[in-house]
Amino acid sequence: MSAIEFREVFFRYNEESPFVLKNFNLTIEQGQTVAVLGHNGSGKSTVSKLVNGLLTPQSGEILVNDTKIRTSNVWEIRKNVGMVFQNPENQFVGTTVRDDVAFGLENRGIPRDEMEQRIKQSLMNVGMEQYMDHEPHHLSGGQKQRIAIASVMAIKPEILLLDEATSMLDPKGRKEILATIQTLKKHGKMTMVMITHDLNEIVLADRIIVMNKGNIYLDTTKELLFTHHKKLESIGLTLPFTVELALELEKYDYQFALYPLNYKEFNKELWTSNLNK
Amino acid sequence: MDIQFKQVSYTYQPHTPFAYQAIRNINLSISSGEYIAIVGHTGSGKSTLLQHINGLLLPTDGEVQIGEYILSSNNKRQDLRKLREKVGIVFQYPEHQLFEETVEKDISFGPHNFGIPKDEISKRVLSSIEKVELQTNFLEKSPFELSGGQMRRVAIAGVLAMEPEVLILDEPTAGLDPKGQIDIMKMFYQLHQSKQMTTILVTHQMDHALKYADRIIVLANGEVYMEGNPEEIFSKTNQLQEVNLDVPEILTLIQDFNQRFNGTIRYQRQSIAELAKEIVEHFRENKRL
Repeated sequence: MSAIEFREVFFRYNEESPFVLKNFNLTIEQGQTVAVLGHNGSGKSTVSKLVNGLLTPQSGEILVNDTKIRTSNVWEIRKNVGMVFQNPENQFVGTTVRDDVAFGLENRGIPRDEMEQRIKQSLMNVGMEQYMDHEPHHLSGGQKQRIAIASVMAIKPEILLLDEATSMLDPKGRKEILATIQTLKKHGKMTMVMITHDLNEIVLADRIIVMNKGNIYLDTTKELLFTHHKKLESIGLTLPFTVELALELEKYDYQFALYPLNYKEFNKELWTSNLNK
Repeated sequence: MDIQFKQVSYTYQPHTPFAYQAIRNINLSISSGEYIAIVGHTGSGKSTLLQHINGLLLPTDGEVQIGEYILSSNNKRQDLRKLREKVGIVFQYPEHQLFEETVEKDISFGPHNFGIPKDEISKRVLSSIEKVELQTNFLEKSPFELSGGQMRRVAIAGVLAMEPEVLILDEPTAGLDPKGQIDIMKMFYQLHQSKQMTTILVTHQMDHALKYADRIIVLANGEVYMEGNPEEIFSKTNQLQEVNLDVPEILTLIQDFNQRFNGTIRYQRQSIAELAKEIVEHFRENKRL
């Protein structure tokens, strides 16, 4: 069973503007962790908003767990699709952090005992348990985002969409969220779609989709992603510094079997490359 | 304009159960024309600190001196208009503050409020749109039909139109894609160099602090934790780790390289091509041995 399927989807924001998605097809299997990359305006955020019915395509079909999204079932679908946006400012309803995480659980009629336990657990997952009684609007941007992620995780959705969810976090917050994603990936059968620019998030993905001009430009893995460096640069994406350095060294006839994603991989590859030279 | 913090503390909602001391006993001096990076984890007091620099917040204790202005809690209300003309703040997500019908009107808004004559405003609008590297045909457009990165540039142009002597940047690259980040950081550096503008950058991105700042101030739990030039700061790996800050990858890579291959490469803001060359040269020389 596929978790998410796009069939010949066309979408534009209004009749005067060009199509953001043009005959877009994509299947994501259950349990997959997928990273979606692309520069601003490539259509990647549109994809995530279509998956939970925030947007409706002009033509084509979108299926979640093999069920086509319609106006009649969009609320059912959303129960299974948790979404975390880039900017947490617009996602708060509760007067305390606890109330805020409780909001989604109350809406779903979760019993009180379980609710308390889930609130605690999900706040612990994002390292915010000591802020349970704080007012959300007094938290910093990064802390707010961690609460937003906790609120979604408390509902235990089958599909989790993260739309540049870590882009506002500080390095510590980002690491915690990445660790959380990793834990979810190990334990659950959750399908995760991460829309991201962050290399550390990309590394967590089983599959990487690069979007350009409303279509899939590359469908690859993290190991192979940067072998397409020319293609990536031609659509305005930047390469990690370690890959750029490896490419510079190739000019001096050093060879890299793998394009290194961090300094350890780089120096290891360089060691081998230097031996074989 | 020199900036000095003398034993500055600030408490939000004092005398209430929610009282929270965001910064305490801060002593700092920033000279005219410096490029300063302020780093620190979330909640370390960075944003509170910088709001003192143009009098948006007044210290609960201590005083802040900016040029001839002295700001402290027992100040009478003074006219901060001149100060705010000279200290421009680019807040986080400045594009959220755009509201006018056209880009031109939006950029004019600040200077207009400060009573700058019309023909002077038109001049400033043109020069600031140029500084943010947007074409003049943007002036007629609605800011809301632009892309996120373009909107941010318009918002920044609005701050530059005040012709500030001090430019404060609160995480100016947040939410931009990597290419947008590189472009905008280069743009600020250019402004800093060509106008001798004092630049205060608040950032989570240590590589930006490394690449551009003359001096780095590390905040932790509302206090100054460390202060020094980038080389000094980033050599204190353990101390940084204690406050959850990373060393930029380029430095870790060079350090690891030097250890593994017995190298002597130093980070000197060299380009990637130059670094590659140094690596190659190192291996060439060592082959001869």
